Amino acid sequence: MKKKILIIDDDPAVVDYLTTLFEDNGYAACSAMSAHAGFELAQKERPDLITLDLELPDEWGPRFYRKLSSDKELKNTPVIVISGLSGNKYAVSKAVASLPKPFDRDELLKIVKENID
Amino acid sequence: MFKRILFATSATDACDHAARVAFDIAQRYNVHIDVFHVLGIPTRGFSQIVVDVTTGDEVTLDDNYRDLVKEEIRTYYDHQIEKTENWSIDVAIGLPHREILRIARLMKPDIIVMGGNTGASGSYAHKKIVTGSTFQRVAKAARCPVLVINRPAASFWGGFSNVVFATDFSGASDTAFDVSFKLARKLNCEFHIFHALDITRTQLNNFHTQDFIEDQIRKASQQLRSKYISQMGTFKQYTMEVWEGIPFVEIVKYAREKHADLIVMAHNTRKTDDDDTSIGSVAEQVILRANCPVISINRSVGKQ
Repeated sequence: MKKKILIIDDDPAVVDYLTTLFEDNGYAACSAMSAHAGFELAQKERPDLITLDLELPDEWGPRFYRKLSSDKELKNTPVIVISGLSGNKYAVSKAVASLPKPFDRDELLKIVKENID
Repeated sequence: MFKRILFATSATDACDHAARVAFDIAQRYNVHIDVFHVLGIPTRGFSQIVVDVTTGDEVTLDDNYRDLVKEEIRTYYDHQIEKTENWSIDVAIGLPHREILRIARLMKPDIIVMGGNTGASGSYAHKKIVTGSTFQRVAKAARCPVLVINRPAASFWGGFSNVVFATDFSGASDTAFDVSFKLARKLNCEFHIFHALDITRTQLNNFHTQDFIEDQIRKASQQLRSKYISQMGTFKQYTMEVWEGIPFVEIVKYAREKHADLIVMAHNTRKTDDDDTSIGSVAEQVILRANCPVISINRSVGKQ
């Protein structure tokens, strides 16, 4: 069964790019444009990994992560922060990685592979 | 809670993270925000020739130039201002800390929001003895709480739901308790009361016994109960802890552990308010290192 990745980002271009990238590399992908929708989708889909933007329309990424880490079923889901904001690597201290925008696709795939394959 | 914020800014990317927090508070809690910028320092006395702090150029100050700078600030914060209902922009000339304190006396904001010093961020921060002198001087003399965001990572939280009050049991800490407790109660936050027991004041290889440390922890816990919890009435959304260690490290760790959105603490508590005093090093280090905004409160806050 394909491993599933949840993409949380409010930029449709980034969502499209990541969806294609993950699907082309043998993963299943689903996406949400807000923290609230992302959390609901995470509860429903139980993804193997989440990519998280920091600046979302309804809530900041760290607050989403706080909610995620207090959910018994989801708390150990690896999270990769992908954000254009400076200081992003310190925003979610328990994230498995933090990438700037634009990011290197090979580096992202390598991190994904290390964490869920 | 807050009705009026004074956001003191250089209107450069050094203040972007402070702007995120200031505008977020203004939008989320419908607070009026005064964006205040000191545009230059007079070349001499009351001269109208000033050195623009952003460009470094000498310019003749007139209404046109003021309007031009205001418009630049308006453009710089455009995407944040367009989502904010109540805002104003003001500019002044003079020494930044004096002008910020002057406008604060005039406008009587409930809180001043500032970024940390640009030179005190990143890897340099841990080597710096004090934060930016403007912030330091404002925080020392302001009659209202001063909220500082030094690290970009401290600006990604949005809203307050976990407030940490760190106390050293001083008089200024009592004021910090009043501010933080009112805020926590008003916004229905989890309120975390914390004391860090300083065990660093011992000679090398001459540590206290564990019995002594635990006795001190017990004593501090009792003090937290009698000093603060006794004032909280029916409010039950609180936790209370005493950790031993290096105070600023423990406060930063505790705030991280509790997913704090805000740390409130007193500074400079053992010194008088003369010009030579600096912010207490514990508050200073917490401001530099915290992963969330920090409100620092001096002993004159709340006094007329």
